[in-house]
Amino acid sequence: MAARRVAVTGLGIVSPLGLNVAETWDGLRSGRCAIGPIQAVDCSALRFQNGAEVRGFDPTKHFPEGKDAYYDRFAQFCVVASREALRDSGIELTPELRERSAIICGSAVGGQSSIEKGFEDLYVLGRGRVHPLTIPKTMANAGASHVSMDLGLSGPTYTVATACSSANHAMGQAFRMVRSGEVDLAVTGGSEAIFTVGMLKAWEAMRVISPDTCRPFSKDRRGMVLGEGGAMMILEPMDSAKARGAKIYAEICGFGMTSDAHHLTQPTVSGPARAMRGALNDAGLAPETIGYINAHGTGTPGNDPVESKAIREVFGARADKLPVSSTKSMHGHALGAAGALEAVATVLALHYGILPPTVNYNERDPECDLDYIPNQARAIQAEAALSNSFAFGGLNAVIAFRAVRS
Amino acid sequence: MPDAVTEKVIATLASVKRIPAENIRPETNLQEMGIDSLDIFTLLFELENAFKISIPDDDVRSIKTVNDIAEGIKKILAAAPPDASVGSASPAS
Repeated sequence: MAARRVAVTGLGIVSPLGLNVAETWDGLRSGRCAIGPIQAVDCSALRFQNGAEVRGFDPTKHFPEGKDAYYDRFAQFCVVASREALRDSGIELTPELRERSAIICGSAVGGQSSIEKGFEDLYVLGRGRVHPLTIPKTMANAGASHVSMDLGLSGPTYTVATACSSANHAMGQAFRMVRSGEVDLAVTGGSEAIFTVGMLKAWEAMRVISPDTCRPFSKDRRGMVLGEGGAMMILEPMDSAKARGAKIYAEICGFGMTSDAHHLTQPTVSGPARAMRGALNDAGLAPETIGYINAHGTGTPGNDPVESKAIREVFGARADKLPVSSTKSMHGHALGAAGALEAVATVLALHYGILPPTVNYNERDPECDLDYIPNQARAIQAEAALSNSFAFGGLNAVIAFRAVRS
Repeated sequence: MPDAVTEKVIATLASVKRIPAENIRPETNLQEMGIDSLDIFTLLFELENAFKISIPDDDVRSIKTVNDIAEGIKKILAAAPPDASVGSASPAS
């Protein structure tokens, strides 16, 4: 079968900026920063107190009759975002389509918060036993499995775990499955929920977390700020989407992935640059068609100059005029869900013709010398965009999207 | 002769990197010795436990030599008594 074009026809999100797509987009376009004091756990014994938490999420509203207890928070985000995305797409699920639908999710750590609670019961509270659902709540595929049961989709279903690139790897796989004709529908994205004392302590020990806020590319940046959430997209063949008169947010048109083969935590310029080139080549897009990059942009001293150099290496002199932003400055770094949150931001940027900003940006850094859309969204209709994710372990995954005129 | 804090930093670094302490000088550039950020974080983790202190992230970014680490620890020890909460295993949730 010849390669098909692939449309994004549904979006769903639970993010620190809002509990659905409308609220989240309102936050992104208005440059709202969702970073604040962490409320889920007591942070008094930590070197940082701020995070980007999903606020006001009531799982009992989505999972009645005590069923919420069957899901780790990361899986709840995944299911709720998938339901919104499917509803949004308006697609009618026939028995045949249900069997030809893939669910590919990204999560860096899955439900490890649940096993942390179990181990606290065991080792600290001396209870001698743990909750019987500890294993099925902890398994990294819990989100994908719950989505398949919840939506009744029975095609290929799995979870990709590549740290901060998880969601991009997942969406890239799903895109290629729809493009190749292996499946006719994909529900794909990522989810993460890591606000537990043990997880935060482990991040503290990495010495990459900002003690105040996230200022990507700004000279006074002091590190990343952890986030959480889930975001899912509906992918289907462009022809079918058009035939059923679907609302098409954008075309997902390219995917590039590389590894640095260098260091566990220190990035290279060439790995990310090759991944961006890979996405462009896969999409058949010339570099000059790209009008926006949603950067990995963690706000760490290490990532931001290297990513800026990588963008310059790929785009040459054009890099001076290429708007780049890190929406992590608003929704934090949701790790395995980061790429999914940022894909929604990128797709909506193309759909509405508004590029979300990098907020908290104060001061130009000579080592980060691009246009970062500082602090205020910009009304520009980009023709195409890239969304970057680079993971600890040196794993790079970049997705290309193209605007679709209705 | 290096002072006690500097000696402890050298001994800990030798143990973390499995290298002879004699090869480490207070003024040696750590990066030139092939010691990367993960090695330094591991070293600081051991030293925080040993001295019962907490070393701020911002101080870590300027570390280039063993001396930088030792001087930083001495400043922290002079400014405040050892932090009793470091090394405590009890979760706060």
